[in-house]
Amino acid sequence: MAPSRSPLLHVFLVAPVVYLLAMVGFPILYNVAMSVQDVTLRNLAQLVRPFVGLDNFRELIGDPIFRKVFVNSLAFVGVNVAGQVSLGLLAALFFAESFAGAHFLRGLLLATWMLPGLVVGALWKWMFASQYGVVNFVLAALHLIREPVHWLSDPAVAMASVMIAHVWYIMPFSMILIAAALTAIPQDLYEAAALDGAGPLARFRYVTLPALRPTLLAVACLVTIYSMRAFDMIFALTQGGPLDSSNVLPLLSYQFSFQQFKFGMGAAVGTFAVVFVLAVAVVYVRTLKQDVRA
Amino acid sequence: MTGGLLPAMSRRTRRVAFMVLAFAGAAIYLFPIYWMLISGFKSSAEIFANPPTFFPKAPNLDAFHSVFVQENIARYLTNSIIIAIPVTLLTLALGSIGAYAMSRIRSRLVDVALVLVLLLQVFPEALIATPIFIIFKWVGLLNTFQAVILATTSKTLAFALVILRPMFLQVPSELEDAAYVDGCTQFKAFWRIVVPLMRAPLLVVGAISFAQAYGEFVYPITLLNQQNLQPGSVGIYAFIGAEFADWHRVMAFASIYVLPILAMFLLLQRNIVSGLTAGALK
Repeated sequence: MAPSRSPLLHVFLVAPVVYLLAMVGFPILYNVAMSVQDVTLRNLAQLVRPFVGLDNFRELIGDPIFRKVFVNSLAFVGVNVAGQVSLGLLAALFFAESFAGAHFLRGLLLATWMLPGLVVGALWKWMFASQYGVVNFVLAALHLIREPVHWLSDPAVAMASVMIAHVWYIMPFSMILIAAALTAIPQDLYEAAALDGAGPLARFRYVTLPALRPTLLAVACLVTIYSMRAFDMIFALTQGGPLDSSNVLPLLSYQFSFQQFKFGMGAAVGTFAVVFVLAVAVVYVRTLKQDVRA
Repeated sequence: MTGGLLPAMSRRTRRVAFMVLAFAGAAIYLFPIYWMLISGFKSSAEIFANPPTFFPKAPNLDAFHSVFVQENIARYLTNSIIIAIPVTLLTLALGSIGAYAMSRIRSRLVDVALVLVLLLQVFPEALIATPIFIIFKWVGLLNTFQAVILATTSKTLAFALVILRPMFLQVPSELEDAAYVDGCTQFKAFWRIVVPLMRAPLLVVGAISFAQAYGEFVYPITLLNQQNLQPGSVGIYAFIGAEFADWHRVMAFASIYVLPILAMFLLLQRNIVSGLTAGALK
Protein backbone atom coordinates (compact mmCIF):
# COMPACT_ATOMS: atom_id res chain seq x y z
CA MET A 1 0.00 0.00 0.00
CA ALA A 2 1.65 3.20 -1.18
CA PRO A 3 1.46 5.79 1.56
CA SER A 4 0.80 8.65 -0.83
CA ARG A 5 -0.55 10.77 2.03
CA SER A 6 2.51 10.20 4.12
CA PRO A 7 3.82 13.29 5.92
CA LEU A 8 7.29 12.67 4.52
CA LEU A 9 6.10 13.13 0.93
CA HIS A 10 4.54 16.43 1.87
CA VAL A 11 7.75 17.58 3.50
CA PHE A 12 9.49 16.57 0.27
CA LEU A 13 7.05 18.68 -1.71
CA VAL A 14 7.05 21.68 0.57
CA ALA A 15 10.83 22.04 1.05
CA PRO A 16 11.75 23.04 -2.52
CA VAL A 17 8.58 25.06 -2.99
CA VAL A 18 9.22 27.07 0.17
CA TYR A 19 12.80 27.57 -0.94
CA LEU A 20 11.67 28.98 -4.28
CA LEU A 21 9.02 31.13 -2.65
CA ALA A 22 11.62 32.61 -0.31
CA MET A 23 14.30 33.18 -2.95
CA VAL A 24 12.15 34.14 -5.94
CA GLY A 25 8.54 34.70 -4.83
CA PHE A 26 9.35 37.03 -1.97
CA PRO A 27 11.83 39.12 -4.01
CA ILE A 28 9.20 39.58 -6.72
CA LEU A 29 6.65 40.84 -4.21
CA TYR A 30 9.29 42.98 -2.54
CA ASN A 31 10.10 44.44 -5.92
CA VAL A 32 6.45 45.30 -6.51
CA ALA A 33 6.39 47.00 -3.09
CA MET A 34 9.52 48.99 -3.89
CA SER A 35 8.05 50.16 -7.16
CA VAL A 36 5.41 52.17 -5.28
CA GLN A 37 7.83 53.53 -2.69
CA ASP A 38 10.46 56.22 -2.55
CA VAL A 39 13.56 54.08 -2.18
CA THR A 40 16.93 55.67 -1.52
CA LEU A 41 20.32 54.29 -0.58
CA ARG A 42 19.58 55.29 3.00
CA ASN A 43 16.30 53.42 3.46
CA LEU A 44 17.21 50.54 1.14
CA ALA A 45 17.30 47.92 3.87
CA GLN A 46 14.11 49.05 5.60
CA LEU A 47 10.67 47.65 5.03
CA VAL A 48 8.66 50.82 5.66
CA ARG A 49 9.37 53.62 3.23
CA PRO A 50 7.42 56.64 1.96
CA PHE A 51 4.57 55.52 -0.27
CA VAL A 52 4.56 57.37 -3.58
CA GLY A 53 1.75 55.58 -5.41
CA LEU A 54 2.37 55.30 -9.10
CA ASP A 55 4.92 58.12 -9.28
CA ASN A 56 7.72 55.78 -10.31
CA PHE A 57 5.60 54.35 -13.10
CA ARG A 58 4.57 57.83 -14.22
CA GLU A 59 8.18 58.92 -14.35
CA LEU A 60 9.07 55.74 -16.18
CA ILE A 61 6.42 56.08 -18.86
CA GLY A 62 7.41 59.72 -19.36
CA ASP A 63 11.03 58.65 -19.86
CA PRO A 64 11.86 58.33 -23.57
CA ILE A 65 14.66 55.90 -22.71
CA PHE A 66 12.21 53.52 -21.06
CA ARG A 67 9.90 53.66 -24.06
CA LYS A 68 12.82 52.97 -26.36
CA VAL A 69 14.04 50.06 -24.22
CA PHE A 70 10.55 48.61 -24.01
CA VAL A 71 10.27 48.60 -27.80
CA ASN A 72 13.79 47.11 -27.95
CA SER A 73 12.76 44.30 -25.63
CA LEU A 74 9.70 43.50 -27.72
CA ALA A 75 11.83 43.44 -30.86
CA PHE A 76 14.52 41.35 -29.20
CA VAL A 77 12.00 38.80 -27.95
CA GLY A 78 10.07 38.81 -31.23
CA VAL A 79 13.14 38.24 -33.39
CA ASN A 80 14.39 35.53 -31.05
CA VAL A 81 11.08 33.68 -31.12
CA ALA A 82 10.78 33.92 -34.90
CA GLY A 83 14.46 33.15 -35.49
CA GLN A 84 14.79 30.31 -33.05
CA VAL A 85 11.54 28.56 -33.86
CA SER A 86 12.10 28.76 -37.62
CA LEU A 87 15.83 27.96 -37.58
CA GLY A 88 15.32 25.37 -34.87
CA LEU A 89 12.60 23.71 -36.92
CA LEU A 90 14.72 23.78 -40.09
CA ALA A 91 17.73 22.32 -38.29
CA ALA A 92 15.60 19.68 -36.57
CA LEU A 93 14.07 18.63 -39.90
CA PHE A 94 17.50 18.52 -41.48
CA PHE A 95 18.98 16.34 -38.75
CA ALA A 96 15.91 14.08 -38.78
CA GLU A 97 17.16 12.72 -42.11
CA SER A 98 19.04 9.48 -41.61
CA PHE A 99 22.74 9.94 -42.31
CA ALA A 100 25.91 9.09 -40.44
CA GLY A 101 26.68 11.52 -37.65
CA ALA A 102 23.22 13.15 -37.58
CA HIS A 103 22.59 12.54 -33.89
CA PHE A 104 26.12 13.33 -32.86
CA LEU A 105 26.27 16.63 -34.76
CA ARG A 106 22.83 17.68 -33.59
CA GLY A 107 23.87 17.10 -30.00
CA LEU A 108 27.21 18.82 -30.50
CA LEU A 109 25.53 22.09 -31.44
CA LEU A 110 24.10 22.23 -27.93
CA ALA A 111 27.61 23.19 -26.77
CA THR A 112 26.73 26.85 -27.42
CA TRP A 113 23.83 26.64 -24.97
CA MET A 114 26.11 25.32 -22.23
CA LEU A 115 28.47 28.31 -22.34
CA PRO A 116 28.30 31.04 -19.70
CA GLY A 117 26.50 34.14 -21.03
CA LEU A 118 29.50 36.29 -20.18
CA VAL A 119 31.74 34.15 -22.38
CA VAL A 120 29.29 34.29 -25.27
CA GLY A 121 29.18 38.08 -24.94
CA ALA A 122 32.97 38.41 -24.78
CA LEU A 123 33.41 36.06 -27.72
CA TRP A 124 31.01 37.90 -29.99
CA LYS A 125 32.42 41.25 -28.90
CA TRP A 126 35.76 40.09 -30.23
CA MET A 127 34.31 38.65 -33.43
CA PHE A 128 32.20 41.78 -34.04
CA ALA A 129 35.16 44.16 -33.55
CA SER A 130 35.04 46.70 -36.40
CA GLN A 131 38.69 46.69 -37.38
CA TYR A 132 40.09 43.32 -36.39
CA GLY A 133 36.95 41.25 -36.03
CA VAL A 134 36.61 38.05 -37.99
CA VAL A 135 32.99 38.77 -38.97
CA ASN A 136 33.88 41.88 -40.96
CA PHE A 137 36.85 40.09 -42.50
CA VAL A 138 34.77 37.16 -43.73
CA LEU A 139 31.98 39.37 -45.04
CA ALA A 140 34.51 41.56 -46.88
CA ALA A 141 36.27 38.49 -48.30
CA LEU A 142 32.91 37.27 -49.63
CA HIS A 143 32.33 40.77 -51.11
CA LEU A 144 29.20 41.14 -49.03
CA ILE A 145 30.34 44.44 -47.51
CA ARG A 146 32.69 47.17 -48.74
CA GLU A 147 33.13 49.18 -45.56
CA PRO A 148 33.61 47.57 -42.15
CA VAL A 149 30.30 47.37 -40.29
CA HIS A 150 30.39 48.90 -36.82
CA TRP A 151 28.45 46.03 -35.31
CA LEU A 152 28.56 47.22 -31.73
CA SER A 153 29.17 50.98 -31.96
CA ASP A 154 26.62 51.91 -34.61
CA PRO A 155 23.26 52.53 -32.89
CA ALA A 156 21.45 51.38 -36.01
CA VAL A 157 23.17 47.99 -35.97
CA ALA A 158 23.92 47.17 -32.32
CA MET A 159 20.51 45.62 -31.61
CA ALA A 160 20.78 43.36 -34.66
CA SER A 161 24.22 42.21 -33.49
CA VAL A 162 22.89 41.36 -30.05
CA MET A 163 20.01 39.45 -31.63
CA ILE A 164 22.37 37.45 -33.88
CA ALA A 165 24.56 36.48 -30.93
CA HIS A 166 21.57 35.48 -28.80
CA VAL A 167 19.88 33.40 -31.50
CA TRP A 168 23.21 31.62 -32.00
CA TYR A 169 23.49 31.07 -28.25
CA ILE A 170 20.05 29.53 -27.59
CA MET A 171 18.85 28.15 -30.95
CA PRO A 172 20.33 24.64 -30.47
CA PHE A 173 18.23 24.28 -27.31
CA SER A 174 15.08 25.06 -29.31
CA MET A 175 16.22 22.68 -32.01
CA ILE A 176 16.71 19.81 -29.56
CA LEU A 177 13.21 20.26 -28.13
CA ILE A 178 11.64 20.42 -31.59
CA ALA A 179 13.67 17.40 -32.73
CA ALA A 180 12.30 15.34 -29.85
CA ALA A 181 8.73 16.14 -30.85
CA LEU A 182 9.58 15.37 -34.45
CA THR A 183 10.74 11.83 -33.68
CA ALA A 184 7.57 11.27 -31.65
CA ILE A 185 5.35 11.65 -34.76
CA PRO A 186 4.23 8.13 -35.72
CA GLN A 187 5.81 7.03 -39.00
CA ASP A 188 2.60 5.44 -40.29
CA LEU A 189 1.00 8.91 -40.48
CA TYR A 190 3.56 9.76 -43.16
CA GLU A 191 3.06 6.45 -44.91
CA ALA A 192 -0.70 6.92 -44.96
CA ALA A 193 -0.28 10.45 -46.31
CA ALA A 194 2.14 9.20 -48.98
CA LEU A 195 -0.38 6.54 -50.01
CA ASP A 196 -2.97 9.29 -50.40
CA GLY A 197 -0.58 10.93 -52.85
CA ALA A 198 0.79 13.67 -50.57
CA GLY A 199 4.18 15.03 -51.68
CA PRO A 200 6.91 16.08 -49.23
CA LEU A 201 5.52 19.61 -48.90
CA ALA A 202 1.98 18.41 -48.36
CA ARG A 203 3.20 15.89 -45.79
CA PHE A 204 4.98 18.70 -43.94
CA ARG A 205 1.95 20.94 -44.16
CA TYR A 206 -0.67 18.37 -43.15
CA VAL A 207 1.21 15.92 -40.93
CA THR A 208 4.37 17.45 -39.45
CA LEU A 209 3.16 20.95 -38.72
CA PRO A 210 -0.12 20.04 -36.98
CA ALA A 211 1.66 17.39 -34.90
CA LEU A 212 4.34 19.88 -33.87
CA ARG A 213 2.01 22.75 -33.09
CA PRO A 214 1.87 22.29 -29.26
CA THR A 215 5.64 21.87 -29.12
CA LEU A 216 6.30 24.90 -31.29
CA LEU A 217 4.02 26.98 -29.07
CA ALA A 218 5.76 25.71 -25.94
CA VAL A 219 9.18 26.41 -27.47
CA ALA A 220 8.03 29.89 -28.48
CA CYS A 221 7.02 30.51 -24.84
CA LEU A 222 10.32 29.15 -23.53
CA VAL A 223 12.28 31.29 -25.97
CA THR A 224 10.27 34.33 -24.89
CA ILE A 225 11.13 33.56 -21.29
CA TYR A 226 14.81 32.95 -22.05
CA SER A 227 15.03 36.11 -24.14
CA MET A 228 13.37 38.22 -21.47
CA ARG A 229 16.09 36.91 -19.18
CA ALA A 230 19.00 37.81 -21.46
CA PHE A 231 21.30 39.91 -19.36
CA ASP A 232 24.82 38.54 -19.01
CA MET A 233 25.45 38.29 -22.72
CA ILE A 234 24.23 41.81 -23.49
CA PHE A 235 26.02 43.17 -20.43
CA ALA A 236 29.28 41.84 -21.84
CA LEU A 237 28.55 42.65 -25.47
CA THR A 238 27.26 46.23 -25.53
CA GLN A 239 26.16 47.21 -22.01
CA GLY A 240 22.91 48.12 -23.76
CA GLY A 241 24.60 50.86 -25.78
CA PRO A 242 25.33 52.84 -27.78
CA LEU A 243 22.63 55.30 -26.66
CA ASP A 244 20.48 52.46 -25.28
CA SER A 245 20.04 51.13 -28.82
CA SER A 246 20.60 47.54 -27.62
CA ASN A 247 19.25 47.96 -24.10
CA VAL A 248 16.54 45.65 -22.76
CA LEU A 249 14.29 45.78 -19.68
CA PRO A 250 16.31 43.63 -17.20
CA LEU A 251 19.47 45.53 -18.06
CA LEU A 252 17.72 48.89 -17.72
CA SER A 253 16.32 47.82 -14.35
CA TYR A 254 19.79 46.83 -13.21
CA GLN A 255 21.26 50.12 -14.44
CA PHE A 256 18.60 52.16 -12.61
CA SER A 257 19.20 50.26 -9.37
CA PHE A 258 22.90 49.56 -9.26
CA GLN A 259 24.42 52.32 -11.38
CA GLN A 260 22.11 55.28 -10.80
CA PHE A 261 20.77 54.11 -7.41
CA LYS A 262 17.21 54.93 -8.50
CA PHE A 263 15.87 51.80 -6.82
CA GLY A 264 12.20 52.76 -7.18
CA MET A 265 12.63 53.17 -10.91
CA GLY A 266 14.56 49.92 -11.18
CA ALA A 267 11.80 48.13 -9.29
CA ALA A 268 9.15 49.74 -11.50
CA VAL A 269 10.89 48.43 -14.62
CA GLY A 270 11.01 45.05 -12.90
CA THR A 271 7.31 45.08 -12.05
CA PHE A 272 6.52 46.09 -15.59
CA ALA A 273 8.57 43.18 -16.96
CA VAL A 274 7.11 40.78 -14.39
CA VAL A 275 3.59 41.47 -15.63
CA PHE A 276 4.77 40.77 -19.15
CA VAL A 277 6.64 37.59 -18.22
CA LEU A 278 3.68 36.41 -16.15
CA ALA A 279 1.37 36.69 -19.15
CA VAL A 280 3.73 34.58 -21.25
CA ALA A 281 4.20 32.11 -18.40
CA VAL A 282 0.43 31.57 -18.16
CA VAL A 283 0.31 30.72 -21.87
CA TYR A 284 3.30 28.42 -21.40
CA VAL A 285 1.79 26.57 -18.45
CA ARG A 286 -1.52 26.17 -20.25
CA THR A 287 0.27 24.81 -23.32
CA LEU A 288 2.11 22.26 -21.22
CA LYS A 289 -1.09 21.20 -19.47
CA GLN A 290 -2.83 20.64 -22.80
CA ASP A 291 0.19 18.71 -24.00
CA VAL A 292 -0.02 16.38 -21.02
CA ARG A 293 -3.74 15.74 -21.50
CA ALA A 294 -3.51 15.19 -25.25
CA MET B 1 16.89 -5.19 -61.52
CA THR B 2 18.47 -1.85 -62.49
CA GLY B 3 15.20 -0.22 -61.51
CA GLY B 4 15.78 -1.47 -57.97
CA LEU B 5 19.38 -0.34 -57.91
CA LEU B 6 18.84 3.25 -58.94
CA PRO B 7 16.79 4.41 -55.95
CA ALA B 8 19.27 2.65 -53.70
CA MET B 9 22.14 4.55 -55.29
CA SER B 10 20.39 7.88 -55.12
CA ARG B 11 19.46 7.23 -51.54
CA ARG B 12 23.11 6.64 -50.79
CA THR B 13 24.21 9.77 -52.61
CA ARG B 14 21.54 11.65 -50.73
CA ARG B 15 22.88 10.37 -47.43
CA VAL B 16 26.42 11.38 -48.30
CA ALA B 17 25.27 14.80 -49.44
CA PHE B 18 23.38 15.31 -46.20
CA MET B 19 26.38 14.18 -44.19
CA VAL B 20 28.75 16.59 -45.95
CA LEU B 21 26.25 19.42 -45.55
CA ALA B 22 25.77 18.60 -41.87
CA PHE B 23 29.47 18.55 -41.10
CA ALA B 24 30.01 21.82 -42.95
CA GLY B 25 27.02 23.42 -41.24
CA ALA B 26 28.07 22.28 -37.78
CA ALA B 27 31.64 23.49 -38.41
CA ILE B 28 30.37 26.95 -39.36
CA TYR B 29 27.95 27.04 -36.44
CA LEU B 30 30.60 26.10 -33.92
CA PHE B 31 33.27 28.29 -35.53
CA PRO B 32 32.98 30.95 -32.77
CA ILE B 33 34.03 28.35 -30.19
CA TYR B 34 36.98 27.36 -32.38
CA TRP B 35 37.85 31.04 -32.76
CA MET B 36 37.86 31.49 -29.00
CA LEU B 37 40.07 28.46 -28.45
CA ILE B 38 42.71 29.41 -31.03
CA SER B 39 42.80 33.15 -30.32
CA GLY B 40 44.48 32.46 -26.99
CA PHE B 41 47.41 30.84 -28.77
CA LYS B 42 48.20 33.93 -30.83
CA SER B 43 50.80 36.54 -30.00
CA SER B 44 49.82 40.16 -29.38
CA ALA B 45 50.95 40.95 -32.95
CA GLU B 46 49.16 38.07 -34.60
CA ILE B 47 45.86 38.64 -32.81
CA PHE B 48 45.48 42.01 -34.59
CA ALA B 49 46.90 40.81 -37.90
CA ASN B 50 45.04 41.67 -41.09
CA PRO B 51 44.02 39.34 -42.65
CA PRO B 52 43.41 37.30 -39.48
CA THR B 53 45.04 33.88 -39.32
CA PHE B 54 42.58 30.99 -39.12
CA PHE B 55 45.25 28.78 -37.67
CA PRO B 56 47.82 30.37 -35.33
CA LYS B 57 51.05 30.86 -37.30
CA ALA B 58 53.30 30.80 -34.26
CA PRO B 59 51.23 29.20 -31.51
CA ASN B 60 52.51 30.15 -28.08
CA LEU B 61 51.38 30.11 -24.50
CA ASP B 62 52.19 33.74 -23.63
CA ALA B 63 48.55 34.72 -23.27
CA PHE B 64 47.82 31.72 -21.06
CA HIS B 65 50.89 32.49 -19.00
CA SER B 66 49.84 36.07 -18.41
CA VAL B 67 46.29 34.96 -17.58
CA PHE B 68 47.64 32.70 -14.87
CA VAL B 69 50.31 35.04 -13.53
CA GLN B 70 48.84 38.53 -13.93
CA GLU B 71 45.11 37.85 -13.89
CA ASN B 72 45.24 35.10 -11.29
CA ILE B 73 42.73 32.99 -13.19
CA ALA B 74 43.31 30.11 -10.78
CA ARG B 75 41.63 32.07 -7.99
CA TYR B 76 38.65 32.98 -10.19
CA LEU B 77 38.22 29.36 -11.26
CA THR B 78 38.51 28.09 -7.70
CA ASN B 79 35.79 30.53 -6.67
CA SER B 80 33.57 29.42 -9.57
CA ILE B 81 33.95 25.81 -8.51
CA ILE B 82 33.46 26.59 -4.81
CA ILE B 83 30.14 28.15 -5.81
CA ALA B 84 29.09 25.57 -8.40
CA ILE B 85 29.58 22.37 -6.40
CA PRO B 86 27.31 23.23 -3.43
CA VAL B 87 24.72 24.66 -5.84
CA THR B 88 24.74 21.36 -7.71
CA LEU B 89 24.39 19.28 -4.55
CA LEU B 90 21.67 21.48 -3.09
CA THR B 91 19.80 21.46 -6.41
CA LEU B 92 20.00 17.68 -6.65
CA ALA B 93 18.84 17.21 -3.06
CA LEU B 94 15.90 19.60 -3.18
CA GLY B 95 15.13 18.78 -6.81
CA SER B 96 14.96 15.05 -6.35
CA ILE B 97 12.80 15.09 -3.23
CA GLY B 98 10.49 17.70 -4.77
CA ALA B 99 10.17 15.88 -8.08
CA TYR B 100 9.65 12.58 -6.27
CA ALA B 101 6.86 14.07 -4.15
CA MET B 102 5.27 15.61 -7.25
CA SER B 103 5.27 12.24 -8.95
CA ARG B 104 3.76 10.35 -5.99
CA ILE B 105 1.24 12.64 -4.33
CA ARG B 106 -2.12 12.52 -6.04
CA SER B 107 -3.90 15.73 -5.22
CA ARG B 108 -4.47 19.22 -6.55
CA LEU B 109 -1.62 20.28 -4.31
CA VAL B 110 0.83 18.96 -6.89
CA ASP B 111 -0.80 20.97 -9.67
CA VAL B 112 -0.54 24.10 -7.56
CA ALA B 113 3.10 23.39 -6.73
CA LEU B 114 3.95 22.63 -10.33
CA VAL B 115 2.36 25.79 -11.69
CA LEU B 116 4.14 27.76 -8.96
CA VAL B 117 7.48 26.26 -9.93
CA LEU B 118 6.88 26.87 -13.63
CA LEU B 119 5.98 30.48 -12.89
CA LEU B 120 8.91 31.05 -10.59
CA GLN B 121 11.41 29.64 -13.06
CA VAL B 122 10.63 32.33 -15.60
CA PHE B 123 11.70 35.42 -13.70
CA PRO B 124 14.86 37.12 -14.91
CA GLU B 125 17.31 37.19 -12.04
CA ALA B 126 18.50 40.67 -12.98
CA LEU B 127 15.04 41.95 -12.02
CA ILE B 128 15.19 40.59 -8.50
CA ALA B 129 18.83 41.43 -7.87
CA THR B 130 17.93 44.34 -5.57
CA PRO B 131 15.63 42.37 -3.24
CA ILE B 132 18.13 39.51 -3.18
CA PHE B 133 20.83 41.99 -2.23
CA ILE B 134 18.60 43.35 0.56
CA ILE B 135 17.71 39.88 1.89
CA PHE B 136 21.35 38.92 2.22
CA LYS B 137 22.16 42.29 3.76
CA TRP B 138 19.48 41.56 6.40
CA VAL B 139 20.89 38.18 7.26
CA GLY B 140 24.45 39.50 7.13
CA LEU B 141 25.68 37.25 4.34
CA LEU B 142 26.87 39.88 1.85
CA ASN B 143 30.32 39.06 0.51
CA THR B 144 30.04 35.36 1.31
CA PHE B 145 29.89 32.35 -0.99
CA GLN B 146 26.84 31.12 0.94
CA ALA B 147 24.78 34.05 -0.35
CA VAL B 148 25.71 33.39 -3.99
CA ILE B 149 25.13 29.65 -3.54
CA LEU B 150 21.67 30.11 -2.00
CA ALA B 151 20.61 32.67 -4.60
CA THR B 152 21.92 30.70 -7.57
CA THR B 153 20.21 27.52 -6.41
CA SER B 154 16.85 29.21 -6.82
CA LYS B 155 17.59 29.44 -10.53
CA THR B 156 18.83 25.87 -11.00
CA LEU B 157 16.23 24.29 -8.70
CA ALA B 158 13.17 25.35 -10.69
CA PHE B 159 14.75 23.95 -13.83
CA ALA B 160 15.67 20.71 -12.04
CA LEU B 161 12.10 20.19 -10.81
CA VAL B 162 10.67 20.72 -14.28
CA ILE B 163 13.11 18.23 -15.83
CA LEU B 164 12.98 15.61 -13.06
CA ARG B 165 9.25 15.30 -12.41
CA PRO B 166 8.41 13.40 -15.62
CA MET B 167 11.45 11.18 -14.99
CA PHE B 168 10.24 10.19 -11.54
CA LEU B 169 6.77 9.57 -12.96
CA GLN B 170 8.29 6.82 -15.09
CA VAL B 171 9.38 4.80 -12.06
CA PRO B 172 6.49 2.44 -11.31
CA SER B 173 5.37 2.83 -7.69
CA GLU B 174 4.93 -0.99 -7.49
CA LEU B 175 8.66 -1.17 -6.84
CA GLU B 176 8.25 0.86 -3.69
CA ASP B 177 5.08 -1.03 -2.72
CA ALA B 178 7.11 -4.22 -2.67
CA ALA B 179 9.63 -2.54 -0.40
CA TYR B 180 6.89 -1.39 1.99
CA VAL B 181 5.64 -4.97 2.23
CA ASP B 182 9.15 -5.87 3.33
CA GLY B 183 8.89 -3.24 6.04
CA CYS B 184 10.86 -0.44 4.41
CA THR B 185 10.19 3.12 5.47
CA GLN B 186 9.24 5.60 2.80
CA PHE B 187 12.57 7.39 3.05
CA LYS B 188 14.44 4.13 2.67
CA ALA B 189 12.35 3.19 -0.36
CA PHE B 190 13.09 6.56 -1.91
CA TRP B 191 16.80 6.44 -1.13
CA ARG B 192 17.53 2.79 -1.82
CA ILE B 193 15.17 2.07 -4.73
CA VAL B 194 14.09 5.25 -6.51
CA VAL B 195 17.28 7.32 -6.38
CA PRO B 196 19.51 4.57 -7.83
CA LEU B 197 17.08 4.19 -10.74
CA MET B 198 17.26 7.93 -11.31
CA ARG B 199 21.05 8.02 -11.60
CA ALA B 200 21.10 9.03 -15.29
CA PRO B 201 18.57 11.91 -15.06
CA LEU B 202 20.18 13.15 -11.84
CA LEU B 203 23.54 13.16 -13.60
CA VAL B 204 22.09 15.30 -16.40
CA VAL B 205 20.42 17.72 -14.03
CA GLY B 206 23.61 17.85 -11.96
CA ALA B 207 25.71 18.65 -15.04
CA ILE B 208 23.37 21.39 -16.24
CA SER B 209 23.07 22.88 -12.75
CA PHE B 210 26.83 22.85 -12.42
CA ALA B 211 27.25 24.60 -15.77
CA GLN B 212 24.65 27.22 -14.87
CA ALA B 213 26.11 27.91 -11.44
CA TYR B 214 29.65 27.93 -12.81
CA GLY B 215 28.71 30.59 -15.37
CA GLU B 216 26.39 32.61 -13.11
CA PHE B 217 27.06 36.35 -13.27
CA VAL B 218 24.21 38.43 -11.85
CA TYR B 219 24.26 37.11 -8.28
CA PRO B 220 28.05 37.16 -7.80
CA ILE B 221 28.38 40.69 -9.13
CA THR B 222 25.48 41.82 -6.94
CA LEU B 223 26.40 40.00 -3.74
CA LEU B 224 30.21 40.00 -3.81
CA ASN B 225 32.24 43.17 -3.99
CA GLN B 226 35.58 41.75 -2.90
CA GLN B 227 37.75 40.81 -5.81
CA ASN B 228 39.25 37.77 -4.08
CA LEU B 229 35.78 36.17 -3.84
CA GLN B 230 34.67 36.75 -7.40
CA PRO B 231 34.16 33.89 -9.87
CA GLY B 232 35.35 33.59 -13.48
CA SER B 233 32.31 35.30 -15.01
CA VAL B 234 33.06 38.49 -13.09
CA GLY B 235 36.75 38.06 -13.92
CA ILE B 236 36.02 38.08 -17.65
CA TYR B 237 33.74 41.04 -17.27
CA ALA B 238 36.42 43.10 -15.53
CA PHE B 239 38.72 42.14 -18.38
CA ILE B 240 36.55 43.40 -21.24
CA GLY B 241 35.15 46.40 -19.41
CA ALA B 242 37.87 48.55 -20.94
CA GLU B 243 37.22 49.93 -24.43
CA PHE B 244 40.32 48.30 -25.82
CA ALA B 245 40.96 44.75 -24.73
CA ASP B 246 43.89 42.40 -25.20
CA TRP B 247 41.77 39.92 -27.02
CA HIS B 248 44.27 37.07 -27.07
CA ARG B 249 44.38 37.25 -23.27
CA VAL B 250 40.61 37.57 -22.94
CA MET B 251 40.16 34.54 -25.19
CA ALA B 252 42.83 32.60 -23.28
CA PHE B 253 40.96 33.40 -20.07
CA ALA B 254 37.61 32.43 -21.62
CA SER B 255 39.05 29.19 -23.03
CA ILE B 256 40.38 28.04 -19.68
CA TYR B 257 37.23 29.17 -17.94
CA VAL B 258 34.89 27.16 -20.21
CA LEU B 259 37.15 24.12 -20.47
CA PRO B 260 35.55 22.22 -17.54
CA ILE B 261 32.08 22.93 -18.94
CA LEU B 262 32.97 21.88 -22.48
CA ALA B 263 34.75 18.74 -21.25
CA MET B 264 31.76 17.78 -19.13
CA PHE B 265 29.44 18.47 -22.04
CA LEU B 266 31.42 16.31 -24.48
CA LEU B 267 31.53 13.51 -21.93
CA LEU B 268 27.80 13.61 -21.14
CA GLN B 269 26.50 14.91 -24.45
CA ARG B 270 24.20 11.96 -25.15
CA ASN B 271 22.74 11.95 -21.66
CA ILE B 272 22.23 15.71 -21.65
CA VAL B 273 20.46 15.71 -25.01
CA SER B 274 18.17 12.81 -24.12
CA GLY B 275 17.54 14.21 -20.64
CA LEU B 276 16.48 17.57 -22.03
CA THR B 277 14.25 16.07 -24.68
CA ALA B 278 12.53 13.83 -22.16
CA GLY B 279 11.91 16.45 -19.54
CA ALA B 280 11.92 20.04 -20.70
CA LEU B 281 8.49 20.12 -22.28
CA LYS B 282 6.54 17.84 -19.98
